[in-house]
Amino acid sequence: MSRNSFRSRFVLGILVVTSLVLVVLDSGEGAEPVTEGARTAGDTVFGPVSSAVSVAARPVEAGYRTLAAAPGAAERIQELEARNKELAAELDSRSLDEGRAEDLEQLLHLSGLGGYEIVPAHAVTKVTSRGYSDAITLDVGERDGVTDGMTVVNGDGLVGRVTRAGTDTATVLPVTDAASAVGVRLEDSRKIGAAEGTMSSLGTAEPLRLELMDADAQVEEGDRVVTLGSHNGVPFVPGVPVGSVTETHRTPGGLSRTGEIAPAVDLGSLDIVGVVVAEPAEDPRDSVLPPRPADERRGRR
Amino acid sequence: MKKTVTVLAISIAVVLQTAVVNRSPLPWGVAPDLVVLTLTAIALRSTPVVAAVTGFCAGLALDALPPADSEIGRNALVLSLAGYLVSALREATVRSAVRPYLVAAGAVLGVSLGFAFVGLVLGDPRVTVPNLMVGVPLTMGMTLAVSPLVLTPLSALLRRLSPEEYELVGASWSSGGGAK
Repeated sequence: MSRNSFRSRFVLGILVVTSLVLVVLDSGEGAEPVTEGARTAGDTVFGPVSSAVSVAARPVEAGYRTLAAAPGAAERIQELEARNKELAAELDSRSLDEGRAEDLEQLLHLSGLGGYEIVPAHAVTKVTSRGYSDAITLDVGERDGVTDGMTVVNGDGLVGRVTRAGTDTATVLPVTDAASAVGVRLEDSRKIGAAEGTMSSLGTAEPLRLELMDADAQVEEGDRVVTLGSHNGVPFVPGVPVGSVTETHRTPGGLSRTGEIAPAVDLGSLDIVGVVVAEPAEDPRDSVLPPRPADERRGRR
Repeated sequence: MKKTVTVLAISIAVVLQTAVVNRSPLPWGVAPDLVVLTLTAIALRSTPVVAAVTGFCAGLALDALPPADSEIGRNALVLSLAGYLVSALREATVRSAVRPYLVAAGAVLGVSLGFAFVGLVLGDPRVTVPNLMVGVPLTMGMTLAVSPLVLTPLSALLRRLSPEEYELVGASWSSGGGAK
């Protein structure tokens, strides 16, 4: 009995030490051959499984969405369930194609305005890992020229940045995640600041927190912000719309101005996105922002 | 035979967890933890060594499969400890019909808190007290809601495959479960 319990404690000790070593290796900066190897293996295995499950689960997901959208019509849904499912699946696939074409067009428009070179990708999965965050997986990877730290955009603006690029897949940290911070610039006034995500676990429509370096900066509700850009375009290229200011906080005596930004991108309904693989030759400034409605412009100036 | 079932069950649980459950649009953004449920069922019918190794392998797979945003080894550490503890402490608990569910609830609680604790030590900015206060009970509730679907059939299957061990649990005999 004691020999057995000694043996099991010994094995447990080895396992715990191994895990701790892996955690420490992986949480350090830079790529470790051991953990990278494990991730590559995971990528290779998970890619086919993931796409197979996607194909199999599409009708189920369509049914779920239909049911969730009409809670009041439960009886009617029961009555028409069989017929409804077929129709929903058919409709879903048709509108999905139309929606994708539209997304792609908007994406091309944005990248043309900013002069970004992009690789189009399909947001495959949006997962919850133990309730802390949402991570998005794209169906492009190192094979398509995507590497860690690249900016991810869609037709409306900034989605996030690539945190891990595998051979065929890439993991994206959304801009709203609490672990994300982006250098931003206000349109027109060119004041710089930082936008930090606040979303931790629940809901997807939480605002970003804006912090401007200049405590006297003039900022009003409705002002729009674009990315400031980083050295060599990693992790963020300049000029991508981030969102518009919805609220400003006045803190007398504070060293910085703070506020809230509503993200330009609806992260709850991502489909076609683009990974910026090459930054523009020159900063596009505000040219990527859509034109402001005419009446608003007159009232402001 | 029991070995095969153990490996199959934990593999299926990991694939289901990463490919299906984590990706389905569940309310409140929390998902039931099938891997912990499966691990509990296995640990309640095997030796601590087998349970710890099973938990370690499952955790490593969870860490490595994309899109993993946790450090490799974080789940492995927590799940191997969980497997060991469930298996080592099962003799101290009274056997009854609800025991697997109580143990599973404890395991989910322990795994969630352990995972959060490792994150706290590593400086993960997403681990905060309000998150834990909301997320952990929701995860426990969701997991317990689906637990009959996993625990009941798996426990019955494992019990059928090792009737003699089931009879003798609690006696001084406790070796050889892993060699079956």
